[in-house]
Amino acid sequence: MWRLNRVRHKAGRQGGSSEEARLKRREHEKALRQARRDRQLVSKRLLLNEDEEQPEVTMDTMSGEQDVVSLLYKLQHSGPERETHLRALSNTLRGPSAQLSFIKQENSMHLLVSLLTGSNAQCRLHAVRCLHELSHSPHTNVAPACLPATPYLLTYLSGQSTKFTELCLYTLGNLFPDSDIVKEKLLAQGIIPALANCLENQRHNLSVVEAVGFTLSQLLQAKDAAEKIIPQVLASSLPTQLLSVLTPDQNFGLAPAIECAWCLHYLACSEDNRELLARGALLQCSSLLLSLGDAVAEGKKEEGMELLVCPVLRCVGNLLSLCPVDSLSTQVGDVRLAAAVCVLLQAYPHTQPALARESAWVLNNLTAASSDFCSALLSLNLVPGLIQLLPFSQGINTMVLRVLANIAHKKKEFCVQLAQLGLVSTLCATLKMADQEMVTLSLEVLFMLVLSTQQVADEFVRLGGVSLLEAIQYNSEGEMRRRAAYLLEHHLLTHSSDLTVDNVP
Amino acid sequence: MKPGGKCPTEDSEEPERRQTEAPFSFTPQLVRLHKDHELFEDGDIHRHMYLQDLYISQEDEPTTSVSEFACHISGCSAVFSALEEYEHHYNSLHRHVCCSCRRSLPSARLLDIHIQEWHDSLFTVLAQRQDMYQCLVEGCGHKFRTSDHRKEHLIRIHKYPPDFRFDKPKKDRGTRETKRPPHKDIAMEEVGDVCESEGVCEVMCDVLSEQPEPGESMETVVEEAAAHLTKAAAAGEDAGLSAAVHSKECLNTETLKPQYSYRVPSTVCFGRGSIRGFRGQRGRRK
Repeated sequence: MWRLNRVRHKAGRQGGSSEEARLKRREHEKALRQARRDRQLVSKRLLLNEDEEQPEVTMDTMSGEQDVVSLLYKLQHSGPERETHLRALSNTLRGPSAQLSFIKQENSMHLLVSLLTGSNAQCRLHAVRCLHELSHSPHTNVAPACLPATPYLLTYLSGQSTKFTELCLYTLGNLFPDSDIVKEKLLAQGIIPALANCLENQRHNLSVVEAVGFTLSQLLQAKDAAEKIIPQVLASSLPTQLLSVLTPDQNFGLAPAIECAWCLHYLACSEDNRELLARGALLQCSSLLLSLGDAVAEGKKEEGMELLVCPVLRCVGNLLSLCPVDSLSTQVGDVRLAAAVCVLLQAYPHTQPALARESAWVLNNLTAASSDFCSALLSLNLVPGLIQLLPFSQGINTMVLRVLANIAHKKKEFCVQLAQLGLVSTLCATLKMADQEMVTLSLEVLFMLVLSTQQVADEFVRLGGVSLLEAIQYNSEGEMRRRAAYLLEHHLLTHSSDLTVDNVP
Repeated sequence: MKPGGKCPTEDSEEPERRQTEAPFSFTPQLVRLHKDHELFEDGDIHRHMYLQDLYISQEDEPTTSVSEFACHISGCSAVFSALEEYEHHYNSLHRHVCCSCRRSLPSARLLDIHIQEWHDSLFTVLAQRQDMYQCLVEGCGHKFRTSDHRKEHLIRIHKYPPDFRFDKPKKDRGTRETKRPPHKDIAMEEVGDVCESEGVCEVMCDVLSEQPEPGESMETVVEEAAAHLTKAAAAGEDAGLSAAVHSKECLNTETLKPQYSYRVPSTVCFGRGSIRGFRGQRGRRK
């Protein structure tokens, strides 16, 4: 997993100023969140040179711009030193102002393209490196300037040189989101079939697989992807290919699987994901989730694993929502999936509450439709673990309570079992929570339990539930008041010895 | 992502009639999330931080958060991080509350005495001719003609401090009284079967800690908070609270009253330890 390795080194080197680093990260994170809210979350990747461990911070000065001009001049007029000049140019082009300067020069792109397509292989490599640096530019007007090169980049995707192909791919992936013109041109030039072919031919070359995955994910995140891109992708061989490389390789690491999983997630979110179901996506993703859960349960939590768990969970969650109930058992296969999801759910509430929340969502979809999964949760003794998650907020407990409600809703016997596991006393606590959804759901679950057996009502009263429900009658939410009142009137007050004469009109 | 609207059917043993009335609507629901859903935000951010080479292992940045508990009583905005705090809060401040004036008393007996002395017109009438003011000490049994006499008794015989919080006579407070015009009592008598509370039965807990009121009597309410709530309610800001108005029939005779009044029907049984209010008939029946 070469990317994570590099990042670890980077983080380690900055250990001295870790507080500063943390602040910077937080700032960056805030910016990303805002970008997501504006539907403009886009990332680019920079493939580092072989000898680089971390991206060098280029001095973005006037000299950079001047270097570009002089290097271009030299390139136009030199012979055998072209390689050297090109290499120097690619280093210079890491600076944003140098990038701007480059595209302003007349015929600069034309020159670069001729070197890209020339007979000198080293020059080609350096030329594509130049384009790659340009593609990583923060300035959005650089990308359209690179359009003359794109047909060639696409053609080269069917080539055999690993490094070269990778650079082409990341370059294309960086360019795509930058402008609508670029998107249009690339789609017209056949980027989707090119990616499909590349993936098919280079399936065993995991660096290339990772690069294809990244580039495809850039396409699939586009705002209008649903109309223009996803149908074409679903019609191609890409989904099948992506599914086939989903299982991570022991030696290479998680990175290629991560990219492909994210692509599948974007596809599964679309309206049209029945196509994915037909190709066995749910089965594949479920079995992957099962093995990931097993790995976590055995304590083998690999670094970065949550980057893979997250999209796979989402695929399963969304595919379940469209899967017809009767085919659920064939599509999902093993009920032990419930156990795997529970393991994931319990592994992350402290460190990654979002992941715990998404796991709980998948459990909801598993239990909503299927009685088998509900009974599996009970028979595999997973419910106590779920009950222990009810204190955790940020949406985890509401989703978990929803799962328990799904179980209670199926059968009276399940209610009885839930009560035996101590759910009633837990509800006495959740009924006091600040989160209104928790309280309302608790009332719903309580209702179902109370209907199932007399003992529940008795236990609830014994635990002081009556005064709790009375307090709820002063809540400002009508939904809660009505439910609490109903429970008191119809189910609980016949037990209570608190009925006094005063209340009889 | 809210649950849909059908009552549970197959599990119920209730007769048909009751079942259709039950206000419960939970049904299991498959939830589908589109890629821009807010539930996915954190995961997406994590993903993009990784793409931008900013990934760090989350082991060193735990971000657990635990659900808070909150007081249910409408208008009380107290929030707690532990269950015991909630229990203590509720038992201290909401158990013995006078519906009429929102005052919280420390015990059922003191609440009874408060209601009698402050909100019972019959008491006022009888007190002109007989000793009605009970000694506050349980078991003492003495009664006095005025609250001053009682106070003297408490200090002399029972060694109470002269400024005992829970024995202040009902004073004529300017602004507060005008919020509740005198014929409120009459209105309550007419509606014999419900306890009509004008304001919400609550105590302004969060303002509580700021100033215990000097010279006020057996209560722990602060008027600024009440005034604030009134203003807010009158401005219609709190939609949740104003819904309370519509949930039960509203016989508010005063249009200027706070909009969030409840009525607690007598069919709901409260038992000794909970919130009670003035019930006109009850005072009479004694």
